[in-house]
Amino acid sequence: FALEKPVCLLKTLMYYPLALLLLAVTAQASVLTLKSPRFVVSDSTGNQLRAEPTASPVKLGARESLKITFQVVDKEDEKGVQPHQTFIRFYDESTGEEGIQPVRVTPGGKAKFDLNLSKPPLYLPPTSDKPLKVSLIIGTPNYDPISAQLFDLVLPRSQPAPVHPDEAVFHPRPELQHTFRPEQKVPNKFISLVFSGIAIAPWFVLLGLWSQVAPRATGLFSPSILPFIASLGAFEVLLFTYWVKLRLGDVLLYGGILGVVTVFTGRRALSSIAAKRTQ
Amino acid sequence: MAPTKAPAAPSSQNPVVLLWKAYNQQTPDRLKFIDAFLFFLMLSGIIQFAYCVLVTNYPYNAFLAGFASTVGQFVLAASLRSQVNPQNKDEFKEVSPERAFADFALGSIVLHFFVYNFLG
Repeated sequence: FALEKPVCLLKTLMYYPLALLLLAVTAQASVLTLKSPRFVVSDSTGNQLRAEPTASPVKLGARESLKITFQVVDKEDEKGVQPHQTFIRFYDESTGEEGIQPVRVTPGGKAKFDLNLSKPPLYLPPTSDKPLKVSLIIGTPNYDPISAQLFDLVLPRSQPAPVHPDEAVFHPRPELQHTFRPEQKVPNKFISLVFSGIAIAPWFVLLGLWSQVAPRATGLFSPSILPFIASLGAFEVLLFTYWVKLRLGDVLLYGGILGVVTVFTGRRALSSIAAKRTQ
Repeated sequence: MAPTKAPAAPSSQNPVVLLWKAYNQQTPDRLKFIDAFLFFLMLSGIIQFAYCVLVTNYPYNAFLAGFASTVGQFVLAASLRSQVNPQNKDEFKEVSPERAFADFALGSIVLHFFVYNFLG
């Protein structure tokens, strides 16, 4: 018994798309239409300047007013209908600005819309030289909606729409031009050679001085001291090889091994010298 | 290694000449050996610095490595000389000349390692 209810629900859910289809078919495609639409442009004193059912473009001066009247009726039985939503829309195609104003419709379907430019209402979008497209939007249940272009309206110029402070962020910024320091140049080859020669000169000075004061190196090649000298020389060779081609890990490894060797040879060499000195 | 006899210098001579003569006669050969090395290092450092100032410091790391090598080696050799000098024996009681040389060798190798690193 507990399984019956969910199974019934499942069955109704399965028939749901079919039910929707039937509902769409049975719903009447009712259509609204406008009866006797009329618009009047009059100047500040009330004189009519222009009065035709529809014509474009309509030019409106700074102190003139525009009045639109019509009645919304059902197309088939000509009965007045009061729609739920009735709007007049002013749209500027070039900038994309729009202004929308609801229109008051009586229960009998009669509608009246007044635009007085001597007191410009707030819903008008910013205008430029391009005409505004005026359209009528009607929506109500059980009827097809209407979005009808009425005419083009040319209003006096207004201030342009204010620019949002963050507007620049949403467009590509100007390209940055970085300036870099000019490349450093290698100096003249001749100067380099001359200074290389000058820089090597101290070695000759050193060799000259050493030839005069060299102490006697009698014990240098004895078996206790030579390994130490050899280890020190090997260290220098290792470092030069590191500069030329080795990597840090390699040189540290070899240096570590060589260091251990040097410690032992060094202790032997230096202790033998110390013993000789204190004799 | 012991210093030779003290000079009998007339007082009318130039003090610099006197100093030079005293140095020549009284300094042991080993210390002179180290002094020659110190002089060489000083010359080398001065020349490198003059080149950097006069011509260019273009491979700046190379200049720094070379200059630092002379300065560092000078410091190590000077400390070796002062520790090995028999006349300073009272000041360095716990440091034997062999120990001083071992320090010098170790310091030199570490200095050379860093200099080669920086030389590029």
